[in-house]
Amino acid sequence: MNKALRNPAIYILFIVPSLILYFLFFIYPLITSVYYGFTDWDGLNNPQFVGFDNFVKLFEDADFLHSILNNIYFICFSVGIQVPLIILFALLIGSVKRFQRLYKTTVFLPSILSTSVIGILWGFIYDPDMGLLNRFLGLFGVDTIYWLSDEKTAFLSILITNAWQWMGFYIVLVLAAILAIPKELTEAAAIDGATGFQQATKITVPLIMPIISVVIMLSIAGAMRVVDIVIVMTKGGPAGSTDVMASYMVSRAFSYGQYGYGTTIALIIFVFSLVLTALYQIAFNRKASEGVEY
Amino acid sequence: MKKSFMMLLTLVFVASIALAGCGSKAETKTTDEKTPTTDATQTPTEPEKKSEPFSITLRHIQVGEPQKNRLAILQDVVKKTEADVPGLKIELDGVEDNTNRNTKLPAEMAAGNVPQIFDLFGGTKDAQKYAQAGKLLDLTPIIEELGIKDQFMDLSAFSVDGKVYGLPIGSSAEGMYYNTEIFTKYNLTAPKTWDEFENILATLKSNGVTPLAGFAKDGWAAAMLPNSLWARYAGPEFIAGLKDNTSDWTSPEITAAMTKLDEWNKKEYFVKGQLGIDYAGRIGQISTGKAALMFDGSWSSSSFADPKQAGDVVGKIGFFFLPPAPGGKGDQTAVNGNSSANGYGFRADLNENELKAAKAFIKNMYTLENQEKGLLTDNTLPSMKLPKESTDKVTDQIVRQVTEGMSAAGALFPVFDAFVTSEVNTAIEQNVQKLFSGKITPAEFGQNVAKAAGK
Amino acid sequence: MMKSIKKISPHFVLLLYVAVILYPFVFVILSSFKTNNQEIQSNPWGLPNVFTFSNYSEVWVKGKISVYFFNSLYLSLAAAVCGVILAAMMSFAITRMKFTKSSKWLYQFILVGMLIPGNALFIAQYILVADMGILGTHWALFLPYTAGAIPLSVLLVSAFMKAIPSEIEEAAVIDGLSAGGMFVRIILPLTVPALVTVFIVNFLGNWNEFLLSNFFLSKDSLKTLPTGMAGFRDAFQTNYALVCTGIIYSVVPVFILYAVLQEKIIAGLTAGSVKG
Repeated sequence: MNKALRNPAIYILFIVPSLILYFLFFIYPLITSVYYGFTDWDGLNNPQFVGFDNFVKLFEDADFLHSILNNIYFICFSVGIQVPLIILFALLIGSVKRFQRLYKTTVFLPSILSTSVIGILWGFIYDPDMGLLNRFLGLFGVDTIYWLSDEKTAFLSILITNAWQWMGFYIVLVLAAILAIPKELTEAAAIDGATGFQQATKITVPLIMPIISVVIMLSIAGAMRVVDIVIVMTKGGPAGSTDVMASYMVSRAFSYGQYGYGTTIALIIFVFSLVLTALYQIAFNRKASEGVEY
Repeated sequence: MKKSFMMLLTLVFVASIALAGCGSKAETKTTDEKTPTTDATQTPTEPEKKSEPFSITLRHIQVGEPQKNRLAILQDVVKKTEADVPGLKIELDGVEDNTNRNTKLPAEMAAGNVPQIFDLFGGTKDAQKYAQAGKLLDLTPIIEELGIKDQFMDLSAFSVDGKVYGLPIGSSAEGMYYNTEIFTKYNLTAPKTWDEFENILATLKSNGVTPLAGFAKDGWAAAMLPNSLWARYAGPEFIAGLKDNTSDWTSPEITAAMTKLDEWNKKEYFVKGQLGIDYAGRIGQISTGKAALMFDGSWSSSSFADPKQAGDVVGKIGFFFLPPAPGGKGDQTAVNGNSSANGYGFRADLNENELKAAKAFIKNMYTLENQEKGLLTDNTLPSMKLPKESTDKVTDQIVRQVTEGMSAAGALFPVFDAFVTSEVNTAIEQNVQKLFSGKITPAEFGQNVAKAAGK
Repeated sequence: MMKSIKKISPHFVLLLYVAVILYPFVFVILSSFKTNNQEIQSNPWGLPNVFTFSNYSEVWVKGKISVYFFNSLYLSLAAAVCGVILAAMMSFAITRMKFTKSSKWLYQFILVGMLIPGNALFIAQYILVADMGILGTHWALFLPYTAGAIPLSVLLVSAFMKAIPSEIEEAAVIDGLSAGGMFVRIILPLTVPALVTVFIVNFLGNWNEFLLSNFFLSKDSLKTLPTGMAGFRDAFQTNYALVCTGIIYSVVPVFILYAVLQEKIIAGLTAGSVKG
C-alpha cells in the first residue's frame, strides 16, 4: 500500500549509523573483553592466553572478594534502608498540600549534579577537622570521627553520600505514582475511618507496588554501576576497604597495568548483572522488554 | 585457538565496516567525524617544511603551591627551547605526581599515546619497564653529543643494557623533619641514638603533642618510613637484594621493623586518621603544629621556606636521618639517598622535528646552572655533579642538614620502588596500609609481600 | 490542637530533609567567601568576617573552570543532539517502515545493550578508542557518549512512535511524501516530547560523566567539568576555600538550568528511568 515506507535504501540509511556506533561501542568491546579476560596482558607486551587462570586468581584474591561484598552491601543498603525511606518521604510529600512543589524540586536537586562534584563536596563535609558533620556532632560532644579514613565508617560514608544524591530522584518517581492514585479511593477509606497510616499501608502502598519494584530494580542496577563516587571520595581506600568491583577493575588495569586481569573483573561484573536481572525478573515476574511490543 | 579467534574478530569487524559501506549519506558523516583526528595525529609524521609551526606536549607534575619553584625553572627552559627550535610550541600539561605516575602514564603507555616529553620515574616498574617494551627514546646518542653523559651522578635507574632512557632532574634523600620550636619547648634535640629517638616520640606523646605526621592515603607515601626501617633493621643489603629478589621478606628483622612501626601506630604516634589523609596534607600538619615530626623526602624542604605554605614554622624546621637501630644488621650509618629517581623521558617514535625539540629541551634543562638554581631556589638536590662553589652557596638550614647527613653517612641505600616489580610494589603499599589499619600483623606483612615476590 | 500538630508534623520532617539537602550548599557558599582554612574551621556555620571575592577571581584564573565548563557544554550538547537524531532515525525505520521482520530482530539486538552495565566495557572501550587513534581527543568521548545513549533512546523513542496512528502516513502518502519527508515533516514533530526527554537524559548523563572523561583524556585543556574539578581538588586540596569556590562555579549553571526547566528535567529523567 505504501511504497515510500518500503524503500530499503532509506531503511538502511536510517539504521546503519546507529548500528555502527552500537556495534563499535557495545558489541565489539564485549567480544574483545571475552578475549582479553582470558589473557595475561600488561598493556605493553603481547597478551598471553592463560585460560581460566585469571578467574582462579580472582576468586583467591581477598581484595576482590571484599569488593564483591561491598557491591552487595551497596545493594542491601539501597534496597533495605533507602527504599523504605523513599516510600516514607514520598508518602509525606504526597500528604501535604502546601510546599509540595518546593519539596519535590529540592529533594530532586542532587540527582542532576555530577557525582564527581558531589564526591568533592561530601569529602569536605566528612573532613575530620573542618567538616560540617564533625562540627555538628561536636555540638553534642561527639568525638572526632575519621569518616573516610577509618575502615569502620568509610564505606558507610560513601553509602550515605550516594543516598543523599539519589533518594530524591526515587522519591519523585514514587510521588508521581502516589499522586496518580484516584482521590476517590483514599477519600472513601477516610470516610470508613481509616487513619492516615492505615490508608498508606492498606491502599497507597499496594497500589504503587509496580513503581516500587522499578525503584528496587534501578537501585540494584545503580549499585552495580557505582564507581566514580568511590574513585573521587576514597580511591578505594583506606587500605582497599571501600573498593567496589568496578573501581577495583579500574585500579587493576590502569594503575597496575593488569589489563587482562582487569577485563576478567569486567566479565564477572557483566555476569553478575545478568544474574541479578534474571533474579529480578523471576521475583517480580516482569516481561523482559517493555516498551514496544511486537 | 587465539589466532582463529582474532580472525573471527577481524571478520566481524570487516563485515561491519562493509555493512557500513552500504549506507551512503549518514555513513559518510561518521567517517567525516573521524577524519580530522586521524589527520591531526598523522600530520607530524609527514615530512614538513622548515619552521612550519608544530607543537609538542610536555607532561609535568609541577602542579600546586609546593611545586611552584620547579615550575618556574621548567617554564624558563620551555621558553628557551621554543626560541631555539623555529616553529616549536610546547604545550605544558600538568598532572598531579601520583596520578601521572600510577594512572595516566601507564595507561598512555599501553594505549601508545604518551606525550612527546613526560615526567618519568626511574626503576623497574617505570623507566626500565617502558624501555624494555620499546616505549622510550634512547637518549644515549643525544647526551653523548651534548657531552653531558658523564656529568650525571647516576643514571642506573634509567638505564637498560647500558642505554639511557631518561634523565633525572634531581636527587633526593628521605629522613625526619622536625619542628625545632616544639623540640626546644620539651628540651629535646635531634637524636643521635635510637633510644633518644624513641624518647622524643614518647615525651611528645605524653605532653599531648602528636609526634608524627600521617599521610598514608597514598600508598607510596605510607611506604617511605618503612623503607628506612627495613634498612635499619635488616641492613642496606636488604634493599640492595631486592634488585635480584634475594631479600627475605619473612626474616625476623623485617618482622621486627614492622613490629616497631605497628607499635608506634598503636601508641597513636601518627596523626589520627592518617589513612584518609593525602600526601598533600602533610605540610599543613607541621605548619599548624598538629605534628612535631614528619618522615618525608628532601624535596619537601622548599615548602618550609615558603611562608604561604608553612606559615609560622618557616626557619624552625630541622632534619635528621634515623639513628642506628639497636641490634640492626649491616651498616647503621647508611642513609637513604636516591640519585636517579625522578626526571624526564621521551616517547620512542619522535619524528624529526620533535626530536630536535627533545634535544633542545635536554640541552636547556640539564645544565649546571639549572642544577644550581634548583638547589638554591627549590632545595632540589642535584642529579649532576655540581662544583663545590655551587653547593657552598646553600644557605637553607634543612638542605645543609640533609647534605651533611649524607656526606657523613657510610653508605647510601635507595628506595625499594626502583627495584621491585609492580606486584611487589603494590603488595608493599597495600600491606603497609593494612598494617596501619590493624588488619594484619607485622609477620603477615612479610608473608604477604613474599607471596607477591613469588616466594 | 491535635489536628494542627498532625498537619504540621509532615512539614517538620520534610523541612529537615530539605535542610539536609540544602545546607551543604549553603556551607560551600559561605566557605567560598572565607579567607582560609582557619576561618572555616573556627567559624563553620556563620557568615565570613569579610566577604572576600578574591577566591572567585583566583579560581577562575588558576582553575581553568571556564575551559572545563565550555568543554562539558559543547560535548554534552553535541553528543546528546547526535544521539537524539540517530535514535529518532532508527526508531522511525523500525517502527514505521514496513520491514517488520528485520525490525523486530534489530530492536531486540539493540536492547541487549541495556543489559550491559556501562562500566563493564570500560577497559575494552579504552583499547578500542586507543586503536582508533582518537584517545586524548574529544572524539574519544563524543563517540562513546553518542553510542552509549542509543539503546535507551531507541527504546523510548520507538515506544512513542509506535503509538502514532498509521492513518497519518496514509494521508502523507497521498500527499506524495517520501519516507524521508514523512520522517522530517510528520513523525519528528509529533515525537518532540519523547525527543526532549531523551535529550535531557542524554545531556545530563554526558554532563556528569566521570569515568571515560577521566581516563580517555589527559590534557588539561580538554577536560570536562567532573574530571577538571577532581583534578582541581587534587591540586588545591589543602585550600578549602578555593575548592568550595570551584564547586560553586561548577554547580551554579546547573542550578540555573534546573530553576528554568525543572518540570521538564524531572519529567524527562524520571520517564527515562522508568521506561528503561
